[in-house]
Amino acid sequence: MSVFYDKFQRHSEGVGLKGNSTHYCPGCGHGLAHKYLAEAIAELGIQDNTVLVSPVGCSVFAYYYFDVGNTQAAHGRAAAVALGHKLSNPEANVISYQGDGDLASIGLAETVSAAQLGAPITVIFINNAIYGMTGGQMAPTSLMGQSTATSPDGRSMFNGQPMRMAELIAGLDGPVYVERVALFDAKNRRLAKKAIKKAVQCQVEGRGYAFIEVLAECPTHLKLSPEETEKWVKEQMVPVFPLGVKKDLAVDPWWKRPSPDFEPAHMLKAAGASSDAASRYCEAFPTHLNPLDISLKLAGSGGDGAQTAAMLIARAAINEGFDATHIPSYGPESRGGTSYADVHVAKDEVLNPASPHPDVLIAFNAPSLAKFGPTVVKGGTIVYDSSIVKDVPEGIDPSVKVVGAPFTEIAVDLGKAVVKNIVALGALQAATGLFPKETILAAVRQALKDKCALIPLNEEAFAWGVKAVEEGRK
Amino acid sequence: MAQLKERPKPFLLPDYCKGCGRCISACAKGCITFDKEIDAATGYVPVVIDLETCNACGLCMDACPEPYGLRETPVDVDFELQDPAKLFGGKTTSAPEPVEIPNTLIPLPRTEPLVIKGNYASAIGALLAGCRHVFGYPITPSTEGAELMAKLLPKLDGTFLQAVSEVAAVNHMYGSGGAGYPCMTFTSSPGFSLMLEGVSYMIGAEVPGVFVNIMRGGPGLGNIAPEQSDVKLACRGLGHGNTHAITLMPSTPQEMLDLTMLAFELTFKYRSPVILLGDGYLGQMTGKVMLPDAMIKPGIPKWAVNGDANHRGNLISSIYLSEHDLEQHNIYLNDKYRQMAENESRCETFMADDAEILIIATNTPARASKGAVQDLRQQGVKAGLFRPITVWPFPVKQLAAILPHVKQMVVVEASNGQLEDEIRLALSNAGVTTLPAITNVRHFGGMLPQQTEVLAHVKAILAKEAR
Ligand code: SF4
Ligand code: SF4
Repeated sequence: MSVFYDKFQRHSEGVGLKGNSTHYCPGCGHGLAHKYLAEAIAELGIQDNTVLVSPVGCSVFAYYYFDVGNTQAAHGRAAAVALGHKLSNPEANVISYQGDGDLASIGLAETVSAAQLGAPITVIFINNAIYGMTGGQMAPTSLMGQSTATSPDGRSMFNGQPMRMAELIAGLDGPVYVERVALFDAKNRRLAKKAIKKAVQCQVEGRGYAFIEVLAECPTHLKLSPEETEKWVKEQMVPVFPLGVKKDLAVDPWWKRPSPDFEPAHMLKAAGASSDAASRYCEAFPTHLNPLDISLKLAGSGGDGAQTAAMLIARAAINEGFDATHIPSYGPESRGGTSYADVHVAKDEVLNPASPHPDVLIAFNAPSLAKFGPTVVKGGTIVYDSSIVKDVPEGIDPSVKVVGAPFTEIAVDLGKAVVKNIVALGALQAATGLFPKETILAAVRQALKDKCALIPLNEEAFAWGVKAVEEGRK
Repeated sequence: MAQLKERPKPFLLPDYCKGCGRCISACAKGCITFDKEIDAATGYVPVVIDLETCNACGLCMDACPEPYGLRETPVDVDFELQDPAKLFGGKTTSAPEPVEIPNTLIPLPRTEPLVIKGNYASAIGALLAGCRHVFGYPITPSTEGAELMAKLLPKLDGTFLQAVSEVAAVNHMYGSGGAGYPCMTFTSSPGFSLMLEGVSYMIGAEVPGVFVNIMRGGPGLGNIAPEQSDVKLACRGLGHGNTHAITLMPSTPQEMLDLTMLAFELTFKYRSPVILLGDGYLGQMTGKVMLPDAMIKPGIPKWAVNGDANHRGNLISSIYLSEHDLEQHNIYLNDKYRQMAENESRCETFMADDAEILIIATNTPARASKGAVQDLRQQGVKAGLFRPITVWPFPVKQLAAILPHVKQMVVVEASNGQLEDEIRLALSNAGVTTLPAITNVRHFGGMLPQQTEVLAHVKAILAKEAR
């Protein structure tokens, strides 16, 4: 059985002669490449499992002819479409059929990256050294001196030199098989047929990416007879685009992709979800800090752990059944050594997650205290690292409670400077009574559930933070 | 060696010969020559074959570019019959009528709330909606979504591919979505611009796919801080042609999950891409996120090009060569847009029932505005919030219904009026011509309007009125 449709229904509704003729010009190489590809698909017995990606160019209508799954792609994107299909549907044999403008000009990035990725797709590249569909303009593969609609005086150095795609692709690590073939005589047609079949077979066997460049005839735009065009390809093109195998690796079949997993337990595990309810320790919302929505800011430099501490506060609040949000500063700002976090803890719903005027500020260093201290609301609280900040700056409202605790010193004494953010949380708890101690400790334990060995150290850090504030240690 | 089986000799129906002559030079025996006259049906001079000296080498058939040109002499064919429909049969394909494999809903146990970033919530929403194929190009501030996918998808036997560019990413989606799989990308404004060509193709070819665009400051490279200035792109500029796509604007991490799941439902329901626009803050914001009570195992739609026998007859393409066909296709798409407008316009209102001052905002600015409304109500001001959840289709019916008692509309957005333009256009198209006064609170360049600014703006309006 032929892999061509019995009747080309998509070609002018299959009416009349078009029902069984291609739209290609007389003598065009596309028809031959189509025939050899169709034969390969038939001989390999993969008609039902083949998807052909048609490009933009003269072969835009390849889907008129091949009785396989068909997708028509945007100009230059056929390889990307083919790859997207192959990765989603690994069992399908996906063939990207493209011309020179499509593959070697507008789609060069997609072509090269798909080749280097090496997933087993088959790319059939028709190089006829000219743009066909748009009417004879210069192609990336046009020859030096070749006169085209956009190089009327002949391609010159100013237009750049012809792209040797087979060599370029063969130079990449991804492809397993690359060959350049031609159609101008019986011997080369036989080789072309063999190469196309082999390229498809590479995919069927899951051995890898294969690329066949076919030097083809475009009599129309070369303004030559089909016979003269065959001669032109042989005499003019072949010296620039040498025929033959460019790469043929003996690679064992490797392409095997599992079917996607839809096991609910796996899904929940991936999402980090658990059905174990967190214990609650809070009796009521800490209205003494704000009746509905407590706004906090944590500010320090990169290694201070402000973001982690912010996250723990949000986690703790949510465990208690409140709403909470945390917004980090990010991007270059965060790379510049500063790290700010805005946290809200709301009784019902956080309305505005930013903290331009916090109820509570935790400052890990002097610049942070200087920058944000004055933004704290009247009657608010500031907790700062007294081992780093020596003088409390001006501009803080006198009604604000300012509490220092030696976060860093305590952490260093405990042997791990990184726990200073947990010391800070202890200090925060003691200074504000935001939540019961257990609420924050439970969140710390939850966060460290995969690193249990660190829990005692963190608990100790927290306790020292509390103690420092309670005892007024500076 | 003796030839056991006789090889077939060439055969040609002159109507299927284009007279290229490639077979002539292929024949070593010189059996093939041009005919004397032009074929009336084709306008070409076909070849004639003299089978006397033909040794059935087959080389001429290999040289003929036409599938139904020179071919092996068919057995059992009446040579007098030249009607191609009879000769080659009237049937175009033996592919079966494709069968739909429906989605399955898999119940999930109740779980405790997650505390995660908006970008993560969106990624988890996509996984719950059955997406196992994600294509992306790293771009701040949306990258965490892609990063989480790169981490989680291998655990669920899915695929994350870091594409060579956003142009490639959207075309990977065209391939994956066209094969019937739920797929998505995470991107941010400049990346979204690059994807628009592909979005137009997806709309034209009816390929589903979800685009999560965490908007950042522009134009150009701008910066990576939050903005909402891709509303115009999503509502009015989805590539070339008559395009539209449902555009969802979440305002909390929870909605990042919920609306991503909805986006997958809608993208398959309408066979058309769906866009989710978040501001940079929302993507980075950590909050409380509850998981739904069920997840989806996707089936395979009838129309998919799935690379199997069932779907062999399918085609994904946006080409309609005849003007008439393309007009019909556009009429069909327009009807789809109309159905989207009718069924999918969504909004949330907050204290809007009797509001005289109606604040309109989306994403994070909607949260700031909600806070402002609450403050204003406490001060006895009849303020309310109207939050479009779909900015296209714009929930204009819902807005028009509450307008009669509204004296002032305040549009709060991080763009130069892109949301306001949508509001005005939607109201105008809906025939609402008497509008309350419209003022705005706007920021660009990476800042979002704050609750305090909204409050101050409304108070200034009230003070002016009182004068
Ligand atoms: S223009 Fe050239 S490439 Fe295109 S169909 Fe005609 S001969 Fe073939
Ligand atoms: S190769 Fe085919 S189309 Fe060309 S002249 Fe011969 S039979 Fe006709």
